[in-house]
Amino acid sequence: MIEDLEFNDWCPGCGNFGILRAEEEALGELGLDYKNAIIVSGIGCSGKTPHFINVDISGVHTLHGRSIAFATGIKLANPSLKVILNVGDGDTLGIGLGHFVSAGRRNLSFVIMMHDNGVYGLTKGQASPTLPKGEKTKSLPKPNINAPINPISIAIAAGYSFVARAYAYDTQSTKEIIKEAILHKGSAFIDVLQPCPTYNDINTIDWYKERIYKLDIDPNVNNPSQRLEKIKQAIDIAYQEDKIGIGIVYKDLTIEPFEDRLLSNIPGYIQYYPAKTEISNNNRSISDLTSLIDELKV
Amino acid sequence: MRIDWLIGGPQGSGVDTISLVFARSIAKAGYFVYGNREYYSNIKGRHSYSSLAISDKQIHSINENIDILATFDAETLFQHFHEVKKVAIYDQNLLDTRLNILYGVEKEIADDIKSRLNNNDPKISDVIQYLKDKNITLIPVDIGSITRSVANDLKVSSLIADRTKNTIVLAISMRLLGLDLSFLEMAIKDVFKDKNTVDINKKAIDKANELDIKNIFNLKQIEKDDRILLDGTTASALGKINAGLGFQSYYPITPASDESTYIEAHQIVKTDNGTRNIVVLQTEDELAAINSAVGAALTGVRSATATSGPGFSLMSEGISWAGMNEVPVVITYYMRGAPATGLPTRSGQGDLEFALHVGHGEFPRIVIASGDHKEVYLDAIWAFNIAEKYQTPVIHIVEKALANSFTTLNKSLFDRANIERGILASNFDNYKRFKFTDNGISPRAFLGQARIFYTGDEHNEFGHIDEESVNRTKMYEKRMKKLLLADQEIKEEDRLNVYGDGDIAVITWGSPKGVLLDIMPSLEEKGVNITLIQIKMFNPFPKQLVKNLLRDKKLIIDVESNYDAQAEKVMKREIGIGADAYILKWSGRQIMSDELLDAFDRVLKGNKKVVLTGGR
Repeated sequence: MIEDLEFNDWCPGCGNFGILRAEEEALGELGLDYKNAIIVSGIGCSGKTPHFINVDISGVHTLHGRSIAFATGIKLANPSLKVILNVGDGDTLGIGLGHFVSAGRRNLSFVIMMHDNGVYGLTKGQASPTLPKGEKTKSLPKPNINAPINPISIAIAAGYSFVARAYAYDTQSTKEIIKEAILHKGSAFIDVLQPCPTYNDINTIDWYKERIYKLDIDPNVNNPSQRLEKIKQAIDIAYQEDKIGIGIVYKDLTIEPFEDRLLSNIPGYIQYYPAKTEISNNNRSISDLTSLIDELKV
Repeated sequence: MRIDWLIGGPQGSGVDTISLVFARSIAKAGYFVYGNREYYSNIKGRHSYSSLAISDKQIHSINENIDILATFDAETLFQHFHEVKKVAIYDQNLLDTRLNILYGVEKEIADDIKSRLNNNDPKISDVIQYLKDKNITLIPVDIGSITRSVANDLKVSSLIADRTKNTIVLAISMRLLGLDLSFLEMAIKDVFKDKNTVDINKKAIDKANELDIKNIFNLKQIEKDDRILLDGTTASALGKINAGLGFQSYYPITPASDESTYIEAHQIVKTDNGTRNIVVLQTEDELAAINSAVGAALTGVRSATATSGPGFSLMSEGISWAGMNEVPVVITYYMRGAPATGLPTRSGQGDLEFALHVGHGEFPRIVIASGDHKEVYLDAIWAFNIAEKYQTPVIHIVEKALANSFTTLNKSLFDRANIERGILASNFDNYKRFKFTDNGISPRAFLGQARIFYTGDEHNEFGHIDEESVNRTKMYEKRMKKLLLADQEIKEEDRLNVYGDGDIAVITWGSPKGVLLDIMPSLEEKGVNITLIQIKMFNPFPKQLVKNLLRDKKLIIDVESNYDAQAEKVMKREIGIGADAYILKWSGRQIMSDELLDAFDRVLKGNKKVVLTGGR
């Protein structure tokens, strides 16, 4: 135990405990700590993950919907850090959807773990963007009249090169997916299905038990000619009815990550990224503007 | 000496570039210049113009009334003929062009032109008659025949040769000034680079040289020191690069984007150890711009973003998070005409109070505003030093009037910057990012160095959520204390500029400073001596010094480019002293020397408030 760990105040039985356990084990097995990794979170119950995690790692608990933006800045300034995001479904697909889609375009290497429970838990159970239409969870005054966003489908459409679905209480397989996502080069998205025993009385543990099964597919795109076929496979899984496949849904190994794209503009980026390079010597700038000034000379 | 020149033309016809070429030519001949661009939020077709002031001394403003009007289209002549004092250059083939067929001229402007010419269907010939009646020297040019002969001589298409018409007008302007055309040729080479383009323009200059043009202004080449010509966005970019910027984010917005694209073009920076790299990220919106910049700052990188009013509005929540988490981040705020989209390509100072209060909650927001290009550059460096010393967001205000205007500065200004990174942690065991200290500053560690926690919630010394009331009281005070420390440590002399010593105090900030400096000699000639106080840092405000400077003044005049006299309001709040009279302008055009001089006359005659409206 680490002395400065925060008291964990999630509800008893919360799916977050399973995700936390899987994440702790994944980080431990990969040997990640504050020197080489960081957890970034948004707002909501999931947002507290960095304060609760029992791993020697740093955490940045950001704003509602903005964790991807923070993570992008952190990763680009210091690409030596593995960046893992713990975000909510409202966080990601509601208030932060613009960032979620844009991140897919970039394919910067980080892992987005979306805690998906269909409700806004910390504000007492309003419908989240993944709650199916017509459902009336415990604290809704009327049934939900918005259709849900399909997380897997939108991740594929946005260009995520690693897309997976996990289940909070299957910590073993969730851990394996997290590990593989962390090792992936490019943006990884994990839709982690999670019961909310307090506010979601429809998608309960028993409800999931009847539907969850492990996927037995080859999700890998090893060359671009396979892409369409693998996308079709992923979309079929995304829209499954009555059963929910768990595992890696899509993994495209042919899309270069954003860090590599930056190399075409900045060949020395990976060796000399901003957080690694000095800017001053004895309080004096080491940056030489001579050639820039010469361009402007009259 | 001072000569004011103006060129206009449809947006997209190269007015922007050509005014820069002209400014370079003049600067090469040893003169100081100050130029300003005015343009519609439009890509092609609408009337844009560029004003240039020429002097043998450093100059900071443009005039509404100009010595030379350089035109090659009809609209510029219609829009600006009333501003001409001495010479107008025009295309003699346009005499029959009617104002009523120029659909891009806004109705209010067309009405103004018609009433000035006392004619409901005026033609260019009516404008020429008006100018003749005013004894303006007219330079009619057959531009078409010149461009045709350029096309013939060089065997290029008439479309390509047609693009030289503004160069022809420049060459004529140079000859009116009495300056050698070789300065123009050199400037063309600097700006266009491409050999074909250079050759075509050179040919156009040669043709213009054959015309019979009198040397009216009789300028001679003068000795000069090593100078550069730059605009405000470049000045800010150079300051940031020198200061060690490592990450810059932006979402496209006028007039801020130019700074970011300049930095991206120069993102590999030569250093004493080799090179260092700046990441420039074009984000999906300003929410991502501020928050990615804040994220990058957590890794120890000097990090910034640049935006204008609408983007700054979107950034407010992120700035609040940065305040709560004591993150040094610089936001360069290119201020333009607001509210809403407002006047996207025009200037204004209407957002000062917004900058001072951006983001919910109480936290130290340090706000600085530059008054000229040199300050834009130096303040960009200063902003990072303050942000890191006091671990808080710094907002650097640069108005559009400075962003898009250009001037000459001495090269030596761009020597190595002084860099102060504030107190950094050296012990990373059991690290407390928000450790309580006497002055509120906790030694800073970067992500990767120690186990660190950040949260937008109220937190304890580790950065973990903590809502307990005693901790809340203490942590809140710790954050706020840093502003007191900044107030104690940053010399008040550095937070404002004072010029002159008279019995009348003039309060201003931002770009009007330069205009005031330019008219001070004329005021003195009239026996009006002013103490010009330009506020540079609004929070923390230089209270004692301003109070001292205002003591025993017989009159306090406030000059600002807004409706509400916002800087004066801040001053009143901070020190309890307000102005006696106001000169204000919120038309989106920058304050001009001649209209300001006239406004002083009116204020000194007892007017309490003068509203300026000069400029198209």
